[in-house]
Amino acid sequence: MASKAWFDEVRERAAKALNKPSPYGLDVDISPFLSLAEPKSRGLLDTSKAEEVGVNLKANAMYIQVDQVYFNYLSRIPGVEVLRIEDFIDQRRDEAYEYIWRLVDPATDKYTALAALRGRGGYFIRVKKGAKVEEPIMACLYMSYGGLQAPHNIVIVEDNAEATVYTGCTIAPEVLGLHVGISEFYVGKNARLRFIMVHSWNKVAHVRPRTVVNVDDDGEYISYYVNMSRVKTLQTYPTVHLASNARAFLASILLGLGDADLDVGSGVYIHGDNGSAELISRALARDGSKIIMRAHIVGEGASRGHIDCRGLMLSNKASIQTIPGLTARNPNVMLTHEASIGRLAEDEINYLVSKGFSKDDAISAIVRGFASIEIKEIPDRVKSYIESIEKVISEKAL
Amino acid sequence: MPNIVLSIENLSVSIGSRVAIKDLNLEVPNNTILYLLGPNGAGKSTLLRTIIGYPGYNVLTGIIHFENEDVTDKPMEYRVSKGLALAHQIPPKLVGIRVIDLLSTLCKRGGCAINDVAKEMEIEHLLYREFGKGFSGGELKRVEIATLLAQRPRLALVDEPDTGVDVDSIEIVARGLKKLVEFSPHKSIVIVTHTAFIARYIEPDTTCILLNGSIIRCGEAELLYKVMRHGFKGLV
Repeated sequence: MASKAWFDEVRERAAKALNKPSPYGLDVDISPFLSLAEPKSRGLLDTSKAEEVGVNLKANAMYIQVDQVYFNYLSRIPGVEVLRIEDFIDQRRDEAYEYIWRLVDPATDKYTALAALRGRGGYFIRVKKGAKVEEPIMACLYMSYGGLQAPHNIVIVEDNAEATVYTGCTIAPEVLGLHVGISEFYVGKNARLRFIMVHSWNKVAHVRPRTVVNVDDDGEYISYYVNMSRVKTLQTYPTVHLASNARAFLASILLGLGDADLDVGSGVYIHGDNGSAELISRALARDGSKIIMRAHIVGEGASRGHIDCRGLMLSNKASIQTIPGLTARNPNVMLTHEASIGRLAEDEINYLVSKGFSKDDAISAIVRGFASIEIKEIPDRVKSYIESIEKVISEKAL
Repeated sequence: MPNIVLSIENLSVSIGSRVAIKDLNLEVPNNTILYLLGPNGAGKSTLLRTIIGYPGYNVLTGIIHFENEDVTDKPMEYRVSKGLALAHQIPPKLVGIRVIDLLSTLCKRGGCAINDVAKEMEIEHLLYREFGKGFSGGELKRVEIATLLAQRPRLALVDEPDTGVDVDSIEIVARGLKKLVEFSPHKSIVIVTHTAFIARYIEPDTTCILLNGSIIRCGEAELLYKVMRHGFKGLV
C-alpha cells in the first residue's frame, strides 16, 4: 500500500538524519532521548500550568497531551474534527499519508528525525469546508515527567473555512525535557487560520518546534507566538508558503530570562502573485539571556512584504541579534525591513512621569507596550488571553 | 488661594556643562495667560522642563515656588502630583501604547471621560493608533493637549503649541488651551512660543521675553504684537 511505503520511507530517512545538526540554535545531544525507555509518567495534567499558558480547559473543541502517555480530545463544534494523530492514521491511513511529513521533511535535522522515530501524539484538526469557527480550538501539550515529548500536529482548514487554534505548551518545574513539536498546517483556498502558540518552559528544558504552513490561493495565515518564561534553549524557524493572493502575518514575542538561549525566526515564501507577508518580532532580554531573531521573506511572485524586528535590552549581560533578510526573485516585488535594538528610552520614561505616572508605572507601561503587537481581526476571547499574557511578560521582564 | 501661582527667583540652570538659564525671575499670577516668547535656543523649553522637574536640568541657584511651596528640589513625580503639567513640544513615540491607553490611565486619575476629551480635541480617529506613530504635526499637538485635558492640572505649561501646526489644528489647540485655563483653579496658563501664531486665537494677559537664558522684559499684550512686527532684535 502506498501509505505503508510512505511511512516506511519516513522512518528510513529519519534514521539517516539522526546525526544531522540544525543550522541554527545550540546543538542538543539527543542520544539520551533516543535510547531512553518511555518515562514512568502518570500522565497527570497540572491544570494550573495549563491555565497559565491561557488554555481554556472547558473549550468545546480541544486536545490535551501529557508527556507521551495521556491523550484526550473532543470536538463539540460543528464542522470541526479533532483526533489524536495516531487515531487519524489508524482510522484513515490513506488520507493521513497525504498530509503527514509532507510539509516538514523528517530528515530536516536530528530533531525532526527523532520526532519521526520516537514521537507520539499530537493533534489532527480539520475545519470543514466553509465552516467559520469563532470559538478557539484549544490544545495543551504538557510535560510532567521529562524526557522526550514529540507530538505531530496536523491542521487542515478547508476552502472558505476559518478557525483559530490556540496551543499552550508547558512543563513542570525542574523537569529535564526535550520538546520537538512537528506542525504541518494546510490552509485552503480563501480560508483563514489563526494560530496562537504560548510557550512556558523551565530553565532546563530544550525546545525545538518544527513548523511548515501551506496557504492556498486567497488564503490567510496569522500566527502569534510567545515565549513567556525561562527555557534552557529554544530554536524554531516556522516556514510559510503562500500561493496567489495569499497573506501571512507572523508575530513573535520572546522573553529571555536567566541564561536562556533563544534562536527564533520565521520565513515566508511568496510563490504566487499578489501575496503579502508581514513578520513582526519583539525580544526582551533580561539577565544573561541570548536572543537571535531571524526573519526572511522570499518574493517569487509579484508581492509585498515587511519585516519589523525590535529588541529591548533589559540587562548589561544579555544579548540580542536581529537577522532580517529579503530575497526578490521577481521585479514586481516590494520588500522592506526595519530592525532596532535599544534599552528603555529615558525620554519615554520621563514623558510618562511628566504625565503623572510613577517611574515604575512608566517603565511597566513602556515594556508592556513594547511586548504588545496588534493583531487585526482576532476573536475577542483570544484577544483577552493575549492581553493577559502580555501583562505577565511585562511583569516578568521587570 | 495665593495671588501668585508660580514664582521663580534668581534661577540658573545647567544642562551638562552648559548654563542655559541665567539668574531668571518670573511670576505667574492668578487670572493670567502668560506668553513666554523668545527665539530658538533662548532657553524656553529648558525653563519649562526645569519648572516641572525634568531629570538632567540642574538648578545651580534660585528657588521655584508653586502655590507658595518651594518645589525646587522636589522630583517631577511630586510636582506633577501637585498639579503642574507640561505639554511637550515634541512628544516621543510610545511603541505599543495607544492613545486610548494613555488617556484612559490619565482619565482614571483625573476623573474625565475619554470620549469628551477626544471630541474636544478632535482626535477620535487617533484613539486606537500607537501614540505618536505617523501623526501629522497638528495631530501630535492635539493629542498632547488632550493628555493635559485628561490630567486637569492646576497650572499647565505649554511648549510651542503652534509649531508645525496647520491653521485648522491651531484653532482646535487654542480651544484646548482655553479649556485648560477654565480647569485651572487659578485661571492661569503659561504658553511658550516663538512664532506667536497661537496668540491670534488666545490672547495674552502678560508677555515675557526670554533671551539668552534670562527674562529681559515682561509687559502686557502689546509687547507680543510689537515682537510680532519687529522681531526680538529691537528689544535687546
